[in-house]
Amino acid sequence: MDTVNAEWIKLRTLRSTWWTMGIAVFVALVLTALGAGAVISRWDPGHAPDQAAMGIVVAVYVGVILAQLPLGMLGVMTISGEHASGMIDATHVATPARSRVLLAKAVVLAGAAVVASLLIAVPGYLYGRVVAAEFNPSALPGEAWPVIAGGTLMIVATTLLGLALGALLRNGAAAMAALMAIILLVPFVARMLPGGEWGNYLLPTYPALQLIGQVPAIMPGWVAFTVLGCWAVIPLGIAALAGRR
Amino acid sequence: MIEVNGLTRRFKQTLAVDDLTFVVPSGRITGFLGSNGAGKTTTMRLILGLDRPTAGQATVGGRPYRSLERPLTHVGALLDATAVQGGRRAEQHLRWLAASNGLSARRVGGLLDLVGLSDAAGKRIGGFSLGMKQRLGIAAALLGDPGTLLLDEPVNGLDPEGIRWTRQLLRSLAAEGRTVLVSSHLMSEMALTADHLIVIGRGRLLADAPIAELVRPGTSLEDVFMDLVSEGREEAPERDEGARERRGAVQDMRHSGVRGGHGQR
Repeated sequence: MDTVNAEWIKLRTLRSTWWTMGIAVFVALVLTALGAGAVISRWDPGHAPDQAAMGIVVAVYVGVILAQLPLGMLGVMTISGEHASGMIDATHVATPARSRVLLAKAVVLAGAAVVASLLIAVPGYLYGRVVAAEFNPSALPGEAWPVIAGGTLMIVATTLLGLALGALLRNGAAAMAALMAIILLVPFVARMLPGGEWGNYLLPTYPALQLIGQVPAIMPGWVAFTVLGCWAVIPLGIAALAGRR
Repeated sequence: MIEVNGLTRRFKQTLAVDDLTFVVPSGRITGFLGSNGAGKTTTMRLILGLDRPTAGQATVGGRPYRSLERPLTHVGALLDATAVQGGRRAEQHLRWLAASNGLSARRVGGLLDLVGLSDAAGKRIGGFSLGMKQRLGIAAALLGDPGTLLLDEPVNGLDPEGIRWTRQLLRSLAAEGRTVLVSSHLMSEMALTADHLIVIGRGRLLADAPIAELVRPGTSLEDVFMDLVSEGREEAPERDEGARERRGAVQDMRHSGVRGGHGQR
C-alpha cells in the first residue's frame, strides 16, 4: 500500500502526467463529439431507443480507444523517465522489491486509464444523448456493457503494455516505438500477408475493435477479453521477471 | 554497522570490486577513499542491493539490505544527487520517498529547513544547482531517521559554507551513535572529516585504519593516499626519500592492523 501511495504521488507530481492526460482526454472528447454527431445524423428515423443507446455507446468507445496511445505513452514514461534520470535507484533503495514497484506503478496507471476513459465516455455519452434526443435513447441496454468493458480493458491494457515495454527496454523512445508497432503497425502489415489475419486475432487491436463492434466478430466475446487481458498482464509479468537481477 | 565480507563484483572482463572485506562500525565517520573508478560507488551500490555481488556479501545491521523492512528507517543513502526528476518540487520529492516507507510527511518541512532548502521547498528540482541537489539528497537520506548513512561524494558542488555544514552534520550524526560511511576524492576534506579511513584501489582494499595512524605528522593524507594507490598498482617506483619514508610509515601501520593491498611482503 505504501508503494502504491508513493507511486501515486510520483505520478501526480509530474506535469507531463497532466499534459498527457489532458491532451488525451481533450482530443478524444472532440473527436467523439464530432464522430457521434456524424453517425447520429445518418440514422434513419425508425431507430429504436435501444438501438440509439447502443449506437451512442459504440461511438463513445471508439473515441475512448483514440486515447490509448497517449495513455500508453504515460505508461512508458512512468518507468523510462526514472531510468533516464537515474531516479530508479532512489526508488529501488526505498523499495528493494522490484516487482512490488512495478505492480504499484501498474495499479496507479490502471486507475489513471480507467479515469481517463470515464472522462471521455461519460461526457461523450451525455452529449450523444442530447444530439440523439429525437430517438429517445434508452439508458444502457444490456449489450452496451461488453462494449464498455472491452473499451476500458483496451485502454488499460495499452497503458500497462507501455509500462512493461518501458521497464523492459528502459528507453522511452524505443519502448514507445515498440508499443506503436504492436498496436498499429503490425496489425496493419499483417492484414496484407497471407494468413496474417490469424496473427492479428492474437494482437490486442483486433479483439478490442471486435468488442466495440468495429470489426466482424470472429471469436467469442470471452476469448476477445482473454486475449486483451493477456496483453495487460503477461508483458508485465515478463518485465517483473526480467527485473529480478 | 556495515559489514562487507569477501565482496566481489565482476563486470565482464573487469573486477570492479575484488574480494573486499571491511567493517564500518557505528559512532564514527568512516571515510571511503579511492581514485575514480576504484570501485567506491559499485561497493556502495552492492551494499544497497542495487546490484548483485558476484561473490561475498554485504550486510547492514547484520542483514542484507534487500531483506530490510522499510529500509529508509535503517539506512539513508545519497548516491547521485543529480539522479532526480527535475519536474518535481523539492517537497514533493521527499513526500513520495516518505510515503514509500510509510513515513509521516511531517518530517519533510523540518528536514528541508535543516538542509537550508526551506525557501526552495516549492521550487522544481530541475532549477536547482548541484549544491542544492546535494542538500536535497542529504535531506532524503535523513528522512527515515536511519542508524546508518551511506553518502557518495556528498560535498561535490557544495560551496565552502555547505562543505563545513555537511562536515558538522556528519560529525553530529556520528556522535549520536550512527554509522556514517562517506566517500570522497577530496583528500583535504576527508582529512578534516573522517575518523577512520578505508582506502581502495582497483576494487581492492589498500588500507583500513584510523586517520591518526595513517597520516603521521609531517605528511598529508594526499601523500599517504598517493603512496597507497601507487602500491596498489604494484608499480611502486621509488621516487624520492620522502616517498620511501612515507611508505615505511604505511608499512608500519600494516603491522598494526592495516590490511595491505598485496599483503605478502
